[in-house]
Amino acid sequence: MISYLTKRLLAVIPIILFAIFLMFALIRLSPVDPAEAYLAAAHIHPTEEILAEKRQEFGLNESLIMQYVQTVKQIVQLDFGNSYVTNTPVWQEVVTRMPATIQLAVSSILLAVIVSVPLGFLSAVYKNSVIDHFSRFLAYLGASIPQFWLGYILIFVFAVQLDLFPVEGRGSWQHFVLPSITLSLALIAIYTRLLRASVLEELEKVYVTYGRTRGIKEKTIMVKHVLRIAISPMLTGLGMNLGKLLTGTIIVEQVFSWPGFGRFFIEAILNRDIPVIQGYVVLAACLFIVCNLIVDVLQLYMDPRISWKGRTES
Amino acid sequence: MQLLNRRQMLFTVLIIFTFTLLAGCSSEDASSESGDSTDKTPNSITLSWPRDIGSMNPHVYNPSQLLTQSMIYEPLVSYEEGGEIKPHLAESWDVSEDGLEYTFKLREDVTFTDGSSLNADIIKKNFDAVLENKSSHTWLGVINVIEKTEAVDDSTFKMVLSEPYYPALQDLAVVRPVRFLGESGFPEDGDTSQGITEPVGTGPWVLEDYKADEYAVFTRNPDYWGEAPELEKVTIKIIPDAETRVLAFEKGELDMIYGEGVISMDSFNHLKESGEYETDLSEPLATRSLLLNSTNEKLSDLNVRLALQHAFNKEAMVEGITLGLEEKADKILSTNFPYTDVDIDPIEYDMEKAVSYLEEAGWSLPDGKTIREKDGEPLELELMYDKTDPIQKSMAETLQAEWTAIGVQLNIAGVELTDQIERRKAGDFDIDFWYNYGAPYDPHSFINVVAEKGWGVAEAHSNLPMKAELDAQIEEALASQDEEERQELYNGILNTLQDQSVIVPVSYMKKTVVYQDSIEEFSFPANRDEHPFNEIKVSQ
Repeated sequence: MISYLTKRLLAVIPIILFAIFLMFALIRLSPVDPAEAYLAAAHIHPTEEILAEKRQEFGLNESLIMQYVQTVKQIVQLDFGNSYVTNTPVWQEVVTRMPATIQLAVSSILLAVIVSVPLGFLSAVYKNSVIDHFSRFLAYLGASIPQFWLGYILIFVFAVQLDLFPVEGRGSWQHFVLPSITLSLALIAIYTRLLRASVLEELEKVYVTYGRTRGIKEKTIMVKHVLRIAISPMLTGLGMNLGKLLTGTIIVEQVFSWPGFGRFFIEAILNRDIPVIQGYVVLAACLFIVCNLIVDVLQLYMDPRISWKGRTES
Repeated sequence: MQLLNRRQMLFTVLIIFTFTLLAGCSSEDASSESGDSTDKTPNSITLSWPRDIGSMNPHVYNPSQLLTQSMIYEPLVSYEEGGEIKPHLAESWDVSEDGLEYTFKLREDVTFTDGSSLNADIIKKNFDAVLENKSSHTWLGVINVIEKTEAVDDSTFKMVLSEPYYPALQDLAVVRPVRFLGESGFPEDGDTSQGITEPVGTGPWVLEDYKADEYAVFTRNPDYWGEAPELEKVTIKIIPDAETRVLAFEKGELDMIYGEGVISMDSFNHLKESGEYETDLSEPLATRSLLLNSTNEKLSDLNVRLALQHAFNKEAMVEGITLGLEEKADKILSTNFPYTDVDIDPIEYDMEKAVSYLEEAGWSLPDGKTIREKDGEPLELELMYDKTDPIQKSMAETLQAEWTAIGVQLNIAGVELTDQIERRKAGDFDIDFWYNYGAPYDPHSFINVVAEKGWGVAEAHSNLPMKAELDAQIEEALASQDEEERQELYNGILNTLQDQSVIVPVSYMKKTVVYQDSIEEFSFPANRDEHPFNEIKVSQ
């Protein structure tokens, strides 16, 4: 177990280095000149002299390899530089906006789990029943409704017409309801179908029949054995989506005026604020990696066969 | 047994996580009540703004917002209706005969919100801080000609220019960067470009509460020297999405939607037609124009430029695309700016004239073809537009259709805004959309960019036969100290520009406002960037 974890943790290092490399390469490939972008953001009319001075300051005259080494050095120390626009450290900008995004991401994931686990499980156990049809309908809905449109509709119905929730902003628990539903509907659609399929698959397995012949209670078989194993693919999906949600749920943050990370990133792109874009991309990569790691560890707990497999293979 | 423990553990972790989350939310709840819930304090209003208000530093630009900067900080002189310059922090001023020395007599009853009083020293300190970072402010003419500033005595401030520049006072009326920060707002080294310690101003409003990306609450400055606003409190909610703004307004969470381009034309008309709300349009802010680049070989011929200008139904296009929110423009500058009320013959929609101009220019229609040719070359032009701007896009499509009728092939190219600006500055376009700057910047900023290269406008005019003469007239106008002479020069400049048709006026853009009927009085400020809150009255 520990060796597995160490191995996984060590594997993270090259992945992050590669992510930094990709980010570095993409920014150098884009036609935007960082010195010029800086001057535009700082409202300075660019002359050749000032441009040359800034290029020197940003180290753009060094060789690409030196620039890459320098970038990695800074990022390892969590130094992403100052935003061209606000002139404050990118790290600070991120830290102030992160809590809002984390809260929204976690509440949406929780809502998705709370709805999709029972719904997916029951629609497998009671296949082709009303509940199964309902879950299928919900899946179609979730998969086909564009998020921004769903957001507007929810605001129109539940905030403007019925006056149950606020239209936008952040503050009380009521503010969480509409954005969380908007974000989680698509997740619910996927997870319900995913869980249903994997439960159905597990139900075909020999151990279920064996358990039944041994006279173990149906409920015990279902909850303790089938569900625990069947939930594994859903966990993987959750991990990937948590990463996605944490890196900013751009459309939903826009529609509900949620003061998060994604909105900040969009502004940075429009302003060609390179340090912010750079910081965001690296952090996003790290978040994805960490989320996947957490999910893998969780899966070890849920399904001990995985760690055995790992052990026999190594 | 062990398995169960693991599961219990997982469950516990999940529960703790959930509670932390909820605890996080509820503690937020308590702290942010003031700004977030719809404020129904009497004598207050809540409005939306698309972006965070920024650092509230009077001497920097993006991301600080003009609207809120103008609430806290004040100018020496202010720009009023019709371009009249009125006393503000300066109660009077003298301009020397040669136009080089400006001596301001400061009001003596003005205090900053930190308690310190306004005097010539602090005015000079602010000027110094601005001039320290001159490279950020060269767009503002007066910055380039200030030679020295001086605190003559406690209430007398003198500014000396290196050359005469008549719009110096207009430039001092703009919202940034020449407005005044109190002593305690300055950082230790005095360099405000790197940030200020707190927003200390003399204005009628004080920033009371602020949460980045969420809201800002302003209350009336109790020690304000001038006439106190009727309102006691202004809450600005940051709502980046235009449709959400409208929904929040319809629900009553907002009292007002104000600003440029903050509401779609459809939504504006929808709210107007509902009859439940008040709506209003400002005087023309600026002109939406087409820039025909005279350095393009085909467009270098005046006849071609005139033909294009005659060959589209401007009125129908503007009405149809902007749904009545903009007004057809005949003059390059609307007449609500100083010196712009000049007699000009409008160029009307006239297809026959357009065709005859093209024939005269030697562009004829070969048999069996739809596009005119000259020496075997087709009359093909490209119009560049901002692809995220629905109005530019619709207008580009309309022009494409209209001009085909006279045998001109217009290719339309949607580009990124940053590319559009870059290409314009480099003069790398055939036809582009362009807007002048509005009050208090025009007409002097406008004629300045016609003469000065670097913004694309001078580049577009550079092939005119009388360009050198025009530049000389512009230089003379900017330096002139005599009102009549200046008006004469403006008449000449504007007439030449109008006749040369490099700039084709399309429509006058206007600012919109929508408000609940609890607001009894509202008027648009004369200065485009100034806030409107001093004049607002709400019913009790």
